Amino acid sequence: MNAVEIRNLSKNFGSKQAVCGLNMTVPMGAIYGFIGENGSGKSTTEKMICGLIPTGGGSIKLYGKDYTDGDVRAKVGVLIEAPGCFKGLSVWDNMMLQATNLNIPDAEKEVVKVLKMVRMEGAAGNKFKNCSLGMKQRVGIAMALLGNPTLLVLDEPLNGLDADGMRIMREVFTDIVKDGKRSIVVSSHLLGELQKVATHYGIIRHGKMIKEMTADELDTSCRTYVAIQTADMNRAKSLLGCKYSRVEEDEAGYIRVYDMTTPEEIVAYLYENGICVTEIMTDKIGLEEYYIDLMKEGN
Amino acid sequence: METTVKFEKNSFKNRLQSMLRVDFRRMFKTKYFYIIVACALVIPILITVMMSMMDGSVSVNPQTGVETIMEGPENTWQSIGTLPTADGEAMGGMDVMGMCNINMMFMAVAVFVCLFITDDFRSGYAKNLFTVRAKKGEYVISKTVMGFVCGAMLLVAYFVGTILGGAISGLSFDLCGLTTGNLVMCMLAKILLMLVFVPIFVLISVAAKQKAWLALCGSLGGGMLLFMMVPMITPLGSTIMNVGLCCIGGLLFTIGLGAISNRVLKKTSLV
Repeated sequence: MNAVEIRNLSKNFGSKQAVCGLNMTVPMGAIYGFIGENGSGKSTTEKMICGLIPTGGGSIKLYGKDYTDGDVRAKVGVLIEAPGCFKGLSVWDNMMLQATNLNIPDAEKEVVKVLKMVRMEGAAGNKFKNCSLGMKQRVGIAMALLGNPTLLVLDEPLNGLDADGMRIMREVFTDIVKDGKRSIVVSSHLLGELQKVATHYGIIRHGKMIKEMTADELDTSCRTYVAIQTADMNRAKSLLGCKYSRVEEDEAGYIRVYDMTTPEEIVAYLYENGICVTEIMTDKIGLEEYYIDLMKEGN
Repeated sequence: METTVKFEKNSFKNRLQSMLRVDFRRMFKTKYFYIIVACALVIPILITVMMSMMDGSVSVNPQTGVETIMEGPENTWQSIGTLPTADGEAMGGMDVMGMCNINMMFMAVAVFVCLFITDDFRSGYAKNLFTVRAKKGEYVISKTVMGFVCGAMLLVAYFVGTILGGAISGLSFDLCGLTTGNLVMCMLAKILLMLVFVPIFVLISVAAKQKAWLALCGSLGGGMLLFMMVPMITPLGSTIMNVGLCCIGGLLFTIGLGAISNRVLKKTSLV
């Protein structure tokens, strides 16, 4: 059984097609990184999963049941766009409202627990409007975590978080899915951060899913490269460009030779041509570069 | 072996109870609720005292030279409804007391309901609420109940304010041939009549969503259409018939408009 199974989902806003024939599968126990450009349909899809906007066609199943099933939906935690809190109320009051909404038996204890998880227990008495952006985001995540949700849908949850906040979130996410039953759908533009926790990925473009894969599949799909620095970069680049299919200069000033796993060959080739290599390393492209490559291919 | 997840069954009663708890918890944490109730208490005192102080004062129009004698209230209950006089004429028909009376509370509750519901959408709380609530019925019911209770509290506050105002101004508490039972029935009928008005405000507010101004304009406009029937259906001399009529009307409006509100929530975007 999958946590989320979407088939042929579509949604139009007037004449604009926001989501078109989208298929998506989030297995149980997965941290599903949902990636796409601005306006690609991520938030719209997430809102449809949460039943916040009516679908224009297709089906959404959560844990094998239709997404309109009240019992399943009662176990969905959400953070979309901004935390849904009343500005004039304190963090504690906002949390208690949501705990009441979820009918949590020992509400106060549960609120304390989730506030501790996001390191916000000291700010519980603060009015929500007086919280900083990062604090608000933590409150939003804490609110989504209330009631031990089976499925978490988080839209840009890492926005506004400091380094410590991001580390905490990574720990929280990993902790949530460790029983193998609970799942997280998380969209973020911070691909580097996402890559540290995601077990599955879905890449969406113009409302269509263009790629779904596991973290292992991404790892094997990510090209390896050899990065070098030489005394004569321009000549080295043109020489390597003649021999290898993809040679690029990166932002740090290194020449990257892709899909090349034997650095010795490069060193020998350049040496034969009178160029001395001063620095060399091998690495793999990350999710960010993979995504950019994929978008370029699409263009 | 495939992992399965079991979900607890949530009965309608449980869902409604938690929704009501959320709304009442929020209502009692909201500043404007106390402001509106305080206004409902103070307004009749101010009106009665000020009108009594101005009783008999003469104002002259400088252009026409016409003198106007200000008439103050003669009886405390004029703030609640029209009293019959010995010669059969109405006391306090279309004067200030006839317009600024307890029936204003039907408009005051519109302000409260609109602000309360649109706040759900403006704050984004509706996302948290509706994500875990696939059925929208309990939201509509809860908001209607909450609006009704708030309306009832406003009417009671105005009633208390009227008595205090009458006592401060030294006005008569004579019911002019009516009984205390009539007065109780009148108040009961007005409270039940809230069930006609509140579902209208709920419907307009859920349709307006984040747009508080639209909800307010629509609710005050819609409420105005029915406003003139309030003194007719709930006069001071109300009987059990008036109460029954308001009860039936209230139930019909609550069920009918509640179903429409539910449909609006189901078919439209909630964010």
